[in-house]
Amino acid sequence: MAKKRIDDYEPGPVPPPAPLDRFGFVKPELSYSHDDSMKGRSAYEYEREERRVRKWRKMIGVGGSDWTYYVKRKPHVVKRRIRKGIPDCLRGLIWQLISGSRDLLLMNPGVYEQLVIYETSASELDIIRDISRTFPSHVFFRQRHGPGQRSLYNVLKAYSVFDREVGYVQGMGFLAGLLLLYMSEEDAFWLLVALLKGAVHAPMEGLYLVGLPLVQQYLFQFDNLVREYLPKLGEHFTQEMINPSMYASQWFITVFSYSFPFHLALRIWDVFLYEGVKIVFKVGLALLKYCHDDLIKLPFEKLIYALRNFPEDAMNPDTLLPMAYSIKVSKSLEELKQDYEKKNQKPVQSTEFNEKQKQSQERFLLSKRS
Amino acid sequence: MARRADEEYDYLFKVVLIGDSGVGKSNLLSRFTRNEFCLESKSTIGVEFATRTLQVEGRTVKAQIWDTAGQERYRAITSAYYRGALGALLVYDVTKPTTFENVSRWLKELRDHADSNIVIMLIGNKTDLKHLRAVATEDAQGYAEKEGLSFIETSALEATNVEKSFQTILAEIYRIISKKSLASDEPGPASIKEGKTLVVGGSEENTKKPCCSSS
Ligand SMILES: Nc1nc2c(ncn2[C@@H]2O[C@H](COP(=O)(O)OP(=O)(O)OP(=O)(O)O)[C@@H](O)[C@H]2O)c(=O)[nH]1
Ligand SMILES: [Mg+2]
Repeated sequence: MAKKRIDDYEPGPVPPPAPLDRFGFVKPELSYSHDDSMKGRSAYEYEREERRVRKWRKMIGVGGSDWTYYVKRKPHVVKRRIRKGIPDCLRGLIWQLISGSRDLLLMNPGVYEQLVIYETSASELDIIRDISRTFPSHVFFRQRHGPGQRSLYNVLKAYSVFDREVGYVQGMGFLAGLLLLYMSEEDAFWLLVALLKGAVHAPMEGLYLVGLPLVQQYLFQFDNLVREYLPKLGEHFTQEMINPSMYASQWFITVFSYSFPFHLALRIWDVFLYEGVKIVFKVGLALLKYCHDDLIKLPFEKLIYALRNFPEDAMNPDTLLPMAYSIKVSKSLEELKQDYEKKNQKPVQSTEFNEKQKQSQERFLLSKRS
Repeated sequence: MARRADEEYDYLFKVVLIGDSGVGKSNLLSRFTRNEFCLESKSTIGVEFATRTLQVEGRTVKAQIWDTAGQERYRAITSAYYRGALGALLVYDVTKPTTFENVSRWLKELRDHADSNIVIMLIGNKTDLKHLRAVATEDAQGYAEKEGLSFIETSALEATNVEKSFQTILAEIYRIISKKSLASDEPGPASIKEGKTLVVGGSEENTKKPCCSSS
């Protein structure tokens, strides 16, 4: 069968203009309420925002080296500021700095271009099939074969070539899509690499490898955390036969970018990139905690529905995130990981496998950490 | 077991929707449960869930439907949902031959993970795309007969046969269950508590029927 490349397609018609929210998503016809909080911004709030941007600019300084220095000297200041939210205009840049993707990009000039132009991937048709099903309501991705969809295709294809073991898995498109709203294709690609290969934090690739080993581990950990922190709710879940794979798989696989309000997803990503996957557990627990008294009354079906459709007030970042920060999970997570590994005999990633991975990627990561 | 006053039903049937990614499982489900269709729906990550209560053979049946992600990699999570399912809707896309070729792999999945007497219905979706059709009705019909599956073609977009496909599989499940409870001399139909998996009667024999024509 002749393979079609996305470049062979003519761009589709430009979709009719529609009212957009401040992030570029088409507003749902009925409820404009998500954005209400943003409408009535007072002069005071603008001033505060401006002060924040100034502080951030100072932290970044003239470029990456100032930032590295700042992070080394005052990690807690950085952490605190990130938890309050990175100013939207600096998000793309900061994300690249804190994820380690900037370094990867600089160490591998020309590699992305090569992956996109010269390599072919077994996943090309799968990727094309899903392109229009990724953020279908965002203005950048709406036009069929338009620039947004092309970039998304290129990044995903490049990744599937770069890491043939992972290839392309549904859900990765939401990660790439989110990144592409804040940076160029090449930058987005290297950030994806940084995340999946673990440039700064634990590698995420296990979320997408055959058997989805890391999804299984995270769900096991989350299930037990619920029982530990919200024992009554945990007991209720057992009685109603609810387990986290029914509602939380997508939290981990797409880091809340699949179905959560975009402004909340961004705030979670700020912290996720700096502090790692812990924040996904914390936000998940905070959501359950916030809705605890309602959830505990619901029978199976209503419970599932509620766990997939949290009320708007629960998803307000300024209440949800402080609640999430206050939940301490590191120690339990570590213990549960060991329990899980014991239960499943072999560790999540065998070293043999890692060796194979490394070899296949060596030709791309030309001078990593030289 | 108590039945909830606001949601009365005689039976609760768990059904799974399986088949390759992009064949239209989620849209068949949304068409059946909410009468909605979405041209640009998001791909399913993991599993989705919906229910609808309807009349089947004069009984009130609640269908509890699990919609699974089609990509092969996701079977690691989704196959756990086959357990306890009384029915499976195995969907392919009539415009994409590979999705039909993969049907046999899905059947194997069911054999490996589902109860042996699960009722399976083969569904060829997207019949509205007439000019793109690439799987002939007769081929699929023949295959279904050979494998002992019911068969129907649908269009989630035009709402053709969607209702009928669910009705048919639920009726078939009902017939098997009522036969079983007759065989094991159980008094009347069991009422099943919401959210619990239905355990079909005590009899051991396999009551799977060869084929039930749907048209
Ligand atoms: N023309 C036409 N398109 C359809 C029909 N049913 C679904 N589609 C389209 O096919 C695409 C995929 O549909 P989904 O329902 O998301 O497919 P799925 O089987 O759930 O896919 P996964 O969740 O990835 O496993 C969407 O763009 C739908 O709009 C149909 O009957 N006719
Ligand atoms: Mg789906």
